[in-house]
Amino acid sequence: MRLPRVEDIEKRIPRPEDFSARSRGPATTARVGTALGIAFGICFLTGLWSHVQYTSPGWLPIGPNPSWLYRVTQGTHVATGIASVPLLLVKLWSVYPRFFIRPPKARRDQLIDVLERASIGVLVAAAIFQLTSGLLNIVQWYPWEFSFRRTHEAVAWVAIGALLVHIAVKLPVIREGLGAPVGHESPVESEGPSRRAVLRGVTVASGLALVLTVGQTVPFLRRISVFGVRDGDGPQDLPINRTARAAGATRAATDPAFVLQLKAGDRIVSLTRDELAKLPQRTHRLPIACVEGWSRNAVWTGVAIQDLLALVGAPSGSTVTVRSMQTRGAFRTSELPGNFVDDPRTLLALELNGEPLSLDHGYPCRIIAPNRPGVLQTKWVRELEVRT
Amino acid sequence: MRLARGLLLLTGVGFGLWGVWLMRDFTSEQLISMGTWLAGGVILHDAIIAPVTVLLGVVAARLLPGGTRSVAAIAFLVWATLTVAVANVLSGQGGKPDNDTVLHRPYGLSWLILTIAVAIAAVFVARRHPRALQEPKDEESPGPQG
Repeated sequence: MRLPRVEDIEKRIPRPEDFSARSRGPATTARVGTALGIAFGICFLTGLWSHVQYTSPGWLPIGPNPSWLYRVTQGTHVATGIASVPLLLVKLWSVYPRFFIRPPKARRDQLIDVLERASIGVLVAAAIFQLTSGLLNIVQWYPWEFSFRRTHEAVAWVAIGALLVHIAVKLPVIREGLGAPVGHESPVESEGPSRRAVLRGVTVASGLALVLTVGQTVPFLRRISVFGVRDGDGPQDLPINRTARAAGATRAATDPAFVLQLKAGDRIVSLTRDELAKLPQRTHRLPIACVEGWSRNAVWTGVAIQDLLALVGAPSGSTVTVRSMQTRGAFRTSELPGNFVDDPRTLLALELNGEPLSLDHGYPCRIIAPNRPGVLQTKWVRELEVRT
Repeated sequence: MRLARGLLLLTGVGFGLWGVWLMRDFTSEQLISMGTWLAGGVILHDAIIAPVTVLLGVVAARLLPGGTRSVAAIAFLVWATLTVAVANVLSGQGGKPDNDTVLHRPYGLSWLILTIAVAIAAVFVARRHPRALQEPKDEESPGPQG
């Protein structure tokens, strides 16, 4: 018995023509790929939008209006990502035989072949990475060592870059594929599904993935979205992202000696919760919209931040640093830019849906502002400092 | 066309490089973890998910009668891709023990119902319109039932 040689092994590896499903091919790939490309584009733009909420660069006017904007962009980001999963899987299925194309013989062609495969490898790796890390992030599962937010952002640029390169390389094939009719392609009998059936199948799967999860941000689909991470329920009719215990805020937040510090330069005003409750109260209906894609409207009652600034004689439109009692986790402090402070709907809330805030919703007081990511709606506030 | 392709290519390379630049201060531990997940996804798909799908197709082609294969294939497509899309909530991982506003639905039961519903729909279509999801045989019989 002799050992198998390279040629023997090569013979055993399938060739593209060994794959029999005729529903594959450019007409299918171009259509699914176009849908996937659009979905990735939506994810990329809404994702960038979410990132600038944290960094708020000066050149970009991010303000409190409309109050539902972040709710819509981030809900769209997550929903589109989930709906992309069937599209990506079918897209990869449709081109899988090409994985087995043998490298060309000529040196020069080999180099081009390697470059093309490398760019596709980067694209596939980045695409799978983005969907996987996003899906795990929305269930708060982090089985990795990297920072989710920064890595999801960096790999997004790589994914979209590789996608643009891929479109540039494949543009003639894409045009041909989109031009080719979907049906009636061959007179040979086939028992396999038609291209049209595959396209309809992936549309149904993608649509179902969307409808069965998007209820976490679209209220009338709450009952239908059986695979939603949240259903909008929670204490005081609102879900919680981080409990007081998880944030290490319980002791300070339940201390009866609690006072809120207002600072502007060397002027300091301290207010107990009762004193806060005696100040003019305002009630507004505003959404909590989390980066994880869930959102829900709620009725908030509290003191307008601009009224609190007046107590320390700070000019309107000042930036305010918000400090929390939480001892664990990121976002212990947040910045409220001047245009948010100026909006009378930006509150230091004391009540939620007609009841005093529960501990997990930020008792004794929390920030609620229109059009902001949930993590910046700081809970268990102990100090507001006006930046001068 | 040439110009458009060239511009796309350059923009794409630029985007990719910017993505790499954003990783410049990642620690080696973070980079290794990221690399593992990047490579792991491709390997999981190309070496496991895709071959298993092909194998299932080969097995199904031997076991299932001709007229039902297309229906079975499309039912599998819908069921399998949907399962992957909701694998995060089915995993039983994630969430926090002290927060019952997250991941508090009976996902396994919903998935079982989804599986049964897809199977029933597939059996129904296979019986009533066995060739509904296939290409018509040739140009002469583009049946209106097709």
